[in-house]
Amino acid sequence: MERKNIVFLINEFNSHGGAQRVASILTEEFMKDGHHVSILSVNEQKNAPSYFSEDVPVKLIHKDNYRPPAPIELSSNLKQWRLMKVSKDLKRRYRLQKQRNNVKKFFEDFGDEEVYVIAIQVYGMQWMQPVLYKRNIKFIGQSHESVAAAKSSQRYKRILSHYRQVSKFLLLTQKDEEHFKEAGFTNTGVMYNPSPFRHFTPPETLYQHKKIVSSGRLVAGKGFDVLIESFASVADTLPGWTLHIYGEGPAEGSLQNLIRIFDLEERVFLEGQTEDIEASLREASLFVLSSKAEGLPMSLIEAQSCGLPCVSTDCAPGIREILTEYEDSLIAPVGDVHLIGRHIKRLADNPELFYSYSRKAYENSLKFDKKVIKQQWYELFEELGGQRDGQS
Amino acid sequence: MVNRKDMQQPPKLSVVVIAFNNELYIEEALQSLQEQTYANLEVVVVNDFSSDRTGELIDRFVEGKPNFKAIHLPENSGGCSTPRNTGIANSTGEYLMFLDGDDWYTVTACEKMVEAMDRTDSDFVAGQVIRTNNYEIWYHKQLYSTERTNLNIREFMGMLFDSLSVNKIYKRSFLDAHQLRFPEGIHYEDIVFTGKAYFLAESFSIIPEPVYYWRVVENSDVKSITNRRFEFDNFQNRIVAHRYFDQFLRESGASLYQKEKNNKFLRHDLKLYTNDYLLFDEEYKEKFHALIYDYLHETMDEYAFLNLAEKDRILYYLLYIGDRAAFDDYIAYINGYETVANRIQTVGSQYYFSASSTDAHHQKFLKMQGPLITYRISTIHLDEKIFSFKADVNINSIDDDSITSFWMLRNRQTGATLVSEKMEDGTISFHVENMTEGNYYLSLYVNHMGNLHKVLVKKSEISELPNIEVKTGSLSKSIYINQKNSFSIRVQPLKNIDQVKWRLKQRRAAQSAKKPQSKESAFQKWAKRWIPKLPVRSNWVLFESHMGKQYSDSPKYIYEQLVKTDRNFKYIWSFQDPEIVDLPGPAIKVKRNSLKHLYYLNRAKYWVDNQGMAHLADKKEQQVYVQTWHGTPLKRMGYDQKKLPTNQELAKLKKQTDVWDYLVSPNRYTSKVLKRGFRYGGEILETGYPRNDLLISQPPEILEKARMHLGVSSEKRVILFAPTFRDWDPNSFQRVLDDVQILSKEIGEDTVLVLRLHYLLSDKIAQFELPPNIIDASNYQDIQELYLVADMLITDYSSVMFDYALLKRPILLYCYDLDEYITRRGMYFDFADKAPGPVCETIDELLNYVTHPERLTEYREALDQFVEEFGSLEDGKASAKVIESVFRQR
Repeated sequence: MERKNIVFLINEFNSHGGAQRVASILTEEFMKDGHHVSILSVNEQKNAPSYFSEDVPVKLIHKDNYRPPAPIELSSNLKQWRLMKVSKDLKRRYRLQKQRNNVKKFFEDFGDEEVYVIAIQVYGMQWMQPVLYKRNIKFIGQSHESVAAAKSSQRYKRILSHYRQVSKFLLLTQKDEEHFKEAGFTNTGVMYNPSPFRHFTPPETLYQHKKIVSSGRLVAGKGFDVLIESFASVADTLPGWTLHIYGEGPAEGSLQNLIRIFDLEERVFLEGQTEDIEASLREASLFVLSSKAEGLPMSLIEAQSCGLPCVSTDCAPGIREILTEYEDSLIAPVGDVHLIGRHIKRLADNPELFYSYSRKAYENSLKFDKKVIKQQWYELFEELGGQRDGQS
Repeated sequence: MVNRKDMQQPPKLSVVVIAFNNELYIEEALQSLQEQTYANLEVVVVNDFSSDRTGELIDRFVEGKPNFKAIHLPENSGGCSTPRNTGIANSTGEYLMFLDGDDWYTVTACEKMVEAMDRTDSDFVAGQVIRTNNYEIWYHKQLYSTERTNLNIREFMGMLFDSLSVNKIYKRSFLDAHQLRFPEGIHYEDIVFTGKAYFLAESFSIIPEPVYYWRVVENSDVKSITNRRFEFDNFQNRIVAHRYFDQFLRESGASLYQKEKNNKFLRHDLKLYTNDYLLFDEEYKEKFHALIYDYLHETMDEYAFLNLAEKDRILYYLLYIGDRAAFDDYIAYINGYETVANRIQTVGSQYYFSASSTDAHHQKFLKMQGPLITYRISTIHLDEKIFSFKADVNINSIDDDSITSFWMLRNRQTGATLVSEKMEDGTISFHVENMTEGNYYLSLYVNHMGNLHKVLVKKSEISELPNIEVKTGSLSKSIYINQKNSFSIRVQPLKNIDQVKWRLKQRRAAQSAKKPQSKESAFQKWAKRWIPKLPVRSNWVLFESHMGKQYSDSPKYIYEQLVKTDRNFKYIWSFQDPEIVDLPGPAIKVKRNSLKHLYYLNRAKYWVDNQGMAHLADKKEQQVYVQTWHGTPLKRMGYDQKKLPTNQELAKLKKQTDVWDYLVSPNRYTSKVLKRGFRYGGEILETGYPRNDLLISQPPEILEKARMHLGVSSEKRVILFAPTFRDWDPNSFQRVLDDVQILSKEIGEDTVLVLRLHYLLSDKIAQFELPPNIIDASNYQDIQELYLVADMLITDYSSVMFDYALLKRPILLYCYDLDEYITRRGMYFDFADKAPGPVCETIDELLNYVTHPERLTEYREALDQFVEEFGSLEDGKASAKVIESVFRQR
């Protein structure tokens, strides 16, 4: 395959969300195949390590880490003498224009070569306006969350205004795609997230670990309080089993407190951030996702790729695209402490059931293998590259 | 019977669980029962001869749990009824609940349901069901949005939409008293069981709490019995169940409620099948049509469809008349397929879908909003001069030759438009070199039989949208899709500075367009806040008559009398148009609804009015409101109205009547009627009408003034013609004009007719040229003065007759629509019986009396009696009496 220019458009290339994970995995894969990958990042976090390797060139849109405020209307604020607000918006407008020009220059360096821009978040699209009409630049927009999650923020509106005219708009699940088709989008597609690793451990070995794991930022939305309570409701009947939660975040204190309240200091552990989630998963038995909202959660894909049976809340359409209920996993309504507890107990109590779910999990996770996903990206590039512009 | 050898108390609650091949889920169901927060319960699990491991799992689960027991049926019953009935028979609890083997309860379900039963003593209680496909409340969230206790189905028919049996807790004694069990041998047993339960229950209650999780398995080969809609048996089963329910309604004397039951059948049950119709095979379709034809004719007529959504109405009506060809065509039509025959037709601007046979009756049920216009756009081209594309416009089921179409680009900022040209090869093309800044949105216009339909072009109908941008001179044109997916050509200045200029210009234009609405100034807002806080002035009196339209009626006469008493009052009159009113005396005029008016409303101690002004300002405790009202009522008022007023209207009325301190009444009859009609409980001044003082004293100078104003010499006979306003009849004005023409010719040379119309019509009549012997006095301020001039009155249902009668001059009642008026408005007494003169139903009858006034002598007595009943209090001192009662305290 000929060498391709691929640009990832990201809000902050060195923050630690699922979207950055995905972009870094793809970057690594694309570069291995000799393609030219670069990153266009709106801002950066100060002194934070990134998932990306040092070899990837990063172009910052705001070198001074300027964060534009939400747009406001000038005249009404001017009338009320809110001069600070007005001056801030004037600055935002000026910067928007200036940065757009910089973006234009950035793309001019590619000459007439084809460039595939993968916007993993929609926010950065506001700076792309001047290059949207360039015929050698193909935009691929992504939304790494469910429709419901997007609707809880400005992002849904941004999608409606910025992704109508991109070459392809990729969703994580069929259900999300259906939603946008109904909203009149004709450029939609589905692309799964790739798993960075895939490792088979015999189910019998996994079972013997007697370890339940979960991971994610320690924030309310991840529902770790529900998980701890669920585990508490069945802990007495599951001697020897422990719960390990990987991640950091503001809820750490209150979760630790909860563990004390249930007298589970010897059974439940907040493990902090791990550099090597794969190792942790290989040492575990089953994975629980207790979130209130998700897209296509990487953590479930990774757990499945290590052959872990999963218990998950039914918190996004993506869950059922990863998991096959009663085949490799059990699913409960969001926040249902009792059912999550019963599900955990069921898998922990039934080795035979556990083994069969584990085997199926590994099998079913093949569709997230990074080589499979990479191939789908290449097919998409081909499709878009072959697309005529309608102009003779 | 159950074995009672252990002599235990029976449990309070029995839960019957039924299972058939639920090996995946049965343990979850049973665990949800084991974990209940409520302890006094027994669980009976009935296994309907499952062929998988269900039975084994049940036995394993039940073992060692004394309040769980398993029953295994010896053969499969093929439904839910037999297992549930078996469970009822083999349980002892005072209350009963049901759970299906693939669903589960919330942990507090039993506790909450038992609690609600104990508390409400209902026959059954229903809780929320949550479906696991979307975790929303089934069915009809609003049914379960709030607690409702001790309802009867007859007062809450919406509940019929919830036909589930499993989300409810029942009193066993209720089920037993009516021998209510699940009907065996049929599917959709819930329709029958729950339906019967609703009508048999004295009372039921609803708790707004989730109790039941209904597992919905999507994209699965394993569909539950009642979910396989593609097999005809399934449809037949549903109809069988509905027929049982219908039969029950008939036999239990509840046929009255068949209509509501039908409504649910149409909106819920039948809809499931018409939605799936395209997926049925030919054999299915044939049987479907035959069965539904029979069923619809058994239970309802076509008017059951009239209030349904358009699609359903048309579909069901075509099923009802057995027109399969048209039904198939309509299904095709709404799914965007071609129809066999062209069936979209119009009568004027009304569209309808035509049935295969013609019958004028059909149109009522086959009406459509408009035709479904579809289009596809491709090969979009945009350059400096030309914007073009290929397009395919289609309306299914319409003769293509009958439609013409064109396209239009419209600049939303400036309103400028460009119209398309059609090239020889069919390409649609626009000349775009003269486009100015703004977004030009593209619309399709279709002309069909003189009806023009506009469709805004959406991106979804465009194949291969190119992102094109062209730059010409100082402007760039680009293809732009907005948030709502509409297609446009965006024309922008290239230079930033020009863009800013253009935006400012737009803003200014938009601002100046907004101006005429003139928003309240900051001062006004501020003034409105503090004016009500000012103290009340005890010697200020505010007057108003007919919402400020006139200087007239009782307020006028009270005012003039008050002026005569020479007290130290300040008088204020409010008028809609103060300029045109000639106001005698010391009063000042204010414009109604102005700030000044608000000022006086808040500061004047006295309000004197004849209609209502309580909505203009909150009356304060120390203010005094004298409501004189404006006539003896003939038609029904307020709460007595024929068409019961809405709650909103009643609230408005109440706001007014609540603040009246005195209501002036001309007679005992009016006091009684207004008290009841207005639900007015305050003081009534039964003094006669102040306005009628004039008719008793009959001052010659007023008579002269009125004559002068009308330009009538004293030799002429004057007839006053005062018809009421018929707001329901748009032709009534024309009718008046016609009648006036006839009267003009017939009344004779020595007579003039003074025409007095409702103030709403006064502007209209002023535009017409009237014959010389007709004088329009619709704008004359005070009708009371006209009475003095008139030798005879012609009216219909107006209260003017009560006043004019005091003069004891002849009255003719011209009531060509008496029956209609009585039907629409209703009257307080038998009008024909008590009328003060002849009631004429035709113009000829009327003319007969006009030209032969001597024939009226026989009505002398009727007139006297009329005055006796309605006018006996009028002694010319009503104003003085009102003033004495209201203002004496000073």
